[in-house]
Amino acid sequence: MAVNEAIASLAPKQDTAQRVAPVSAGAVIRRILLLLGILVFVVVAIFPVYYMIITTFKANDDLYNLTHFPLWFTDKATFGHVQYLFQKTEFRRWLINSYLIALGTVVITVLTAVPAGYALARLNLPGAGPLSIGIFLTYLVPPSLLFIPLSQVVSRLHLIDNIWALVVIYPTFTIPFCTWLMMGFFKTIPFDIEEAALIDGCNRIQAIRRVVLPLSRAGIFSIMMFAFTLALQEFIYALVFIHGKESKPVTLGVVTDLIRGDVFYWGELMAGGIIAGLPVAILYNFFLDDFIAGITAGSVK
Amino acid sequence: MFRSRVLGYLLLAPAMIYIIGLVAVPFFLALKFSLTDATVSNLNGVRGFIGLENFTGLLKDQTFRAALRNTIIYSLVTAVVNSILGTTLAFILLAKFRGKKIVRYLVLLPWTIPIALTIQAWKWMFHPQYSVLNWLGKHTHIITAQYGIQWLGQPKSAMASIIMVNVWRNFPFSAVILLAGLTSIPQDIIDAAKIDGANWFTRYRKIIVPMIAPILFIGLLFNLVFNFTDLTIVFLLTQGGPGNATEVLATYAFKVGIASGQLGRGAAVTLFLFPILFLFSIVFLRQLRKREI
Repeated sequence: MAVNEAIASLAPKQDTAQRVAPVSAGAVIRRILLLLGILVFVVVAIFPVYYMIITTFKANDDLYNLTHFPLWFTDKATFGHVQYLFQKTEFRRWLINSYLIALGTVVITVLTAVPAGYALARLNLPGAGPLSIGIFLTYLVPPSLLFIPLSQVVSRLHLIDNIWALVVIYPTFTIPFCTWLMMGFFKTIPFDIEEAALIDGCNRIQAIRRVVLPLSRAGIFSIMMFAFTLALQEFIYALVFIHGKESKPVTLGVVTDLIRGDVFYWGELMAGGIIAGLPVAILYNFFLDDFIAGITAGSVK
Repeated sequence: MFRSRVLGYLLLAPAMIYIIGLVAVPFFLALKFSLTDATVSNLNGVRGFIGLENFTGLLKDQTFRAALRNTIIYSLVTAVVNSILGTTLAFILLAKFRGKKIVRYLVLLPWTIPIALTIQAWKWMFHPQYSVLNWLGKHTHIITAQYGIQWLGQPKSAMASIIMVNVWRNFPFSAVILLAGLTSIPQDIIDAAKIDGANWFTRYRKIIVPMIAPILFIGLLFNLVFNFTDLTIVFLLTQGGPGNATEVLATYAFKVGIASGQLGRGAAVTLFLFPILFLFSIVFLRQLRKREI
């Protein structure tokens, strides 16, 4: 497990410990407290995930036996739950749906947020300030406020029970934040470079295409990741708009279809959660710093 | 100049159309619904415009009042606990130690894995019969009740459970936001203060806290908005039960507006969220303005 590695790697750097001699008692105590703190936080954070993984590979007889040790295997580990998930449920379909919806969301988000971010950051439009704040504020309008009217919009568009409903709706929460992020990225590109291209005879569109866009590749990539993972995480709109088994994204499918009345397929539920969830977590981690920079943009100088 | 303006508005148009069409229009649609007795099967309602009847009706509705109270308790308690844990974690992550990247990845897992999926792990850990939390509690003698705690089965513990899950999910996020603030304080300012004889406490009070205050504030704001409007955690863990002990505005709106199809009344429930969100937005705007000046 990664836990052991993590704990092992927490030891203070040896070279510093040797160099800074003699070490005061206070420093040692502080170090121990720090390590304890890290340990507690890591254990609390990952325990449910760890327990998911154990449950995924545990045979039912082992799982539902109260005399067995719950944190490890008593009987042999099994792939039964994972097999069931892929063979007897629509899990594969849900995964594909999720990724398709997320891809669609990314395409719409990039096509709208990148131009909007550029216009607001670069073109000195009258009213750009209030407009950009207005766009950001829509990020604070949550699904809980919109799902009832949107359910009518979606049914008017005849998209109920169709993954396109989610492709159309998800950009409502990705566009505001991504536009905000793109504004930040565009502002970091020196204006002179673009100016130089304009003087060299490019028109504005050419300057954008040949100079600005290549320079903001990192920014565009991170809003793509952002839109992608946010779309993969969504649950509320899916719950409201999608009922048919075939059109569900994985977040919805796993929690609605693996529970039959009072019977919960715990092994399958946990397997589905881990298989669908861990890739998202890994993706998220890559662009996390950009995401934080976006949220805190302007609040720190 | 003129051409670049035209281009500017053209570039802005797709995003604006999207936001107006699918955020602003639906919002006004919700306003309109809330003033009628519209249902899913009869969009114009039987009586049509009924004024504020939905709102006055809700204020007399026991479940709604419980939901309003629960929403406030739920979001405030979570935000406070969250900030405390988040701040602690942020300071821990500020220290130098090996493997910080791995630690950060691991502590962020609650926030990066979709909550709809991890919530099932919690539901499993709260299981009335097989709860691993009860097992742990009994073996460490923290829980003394013979059959353990019925986590989701009793009003108080159910509320505590949804708060616990929300905190677990969101404190890493508070921590990284704060961490961004803390690491953005230039070290030379702190060093200068040290040279000037400022002790640890003074440095905190006079430099670090004021400098991270705006960011702390934004973190708290986001947190409150998320908690205040949270539907996923409560819906998947307790569905508002037992009774209406954990009913919050968002779950109640879902039940009324979607599950039983009373669009008008459901929209009225969600609009009770709005004044507070509006207040948040105003405060947020002021923060932004202050910084620009």
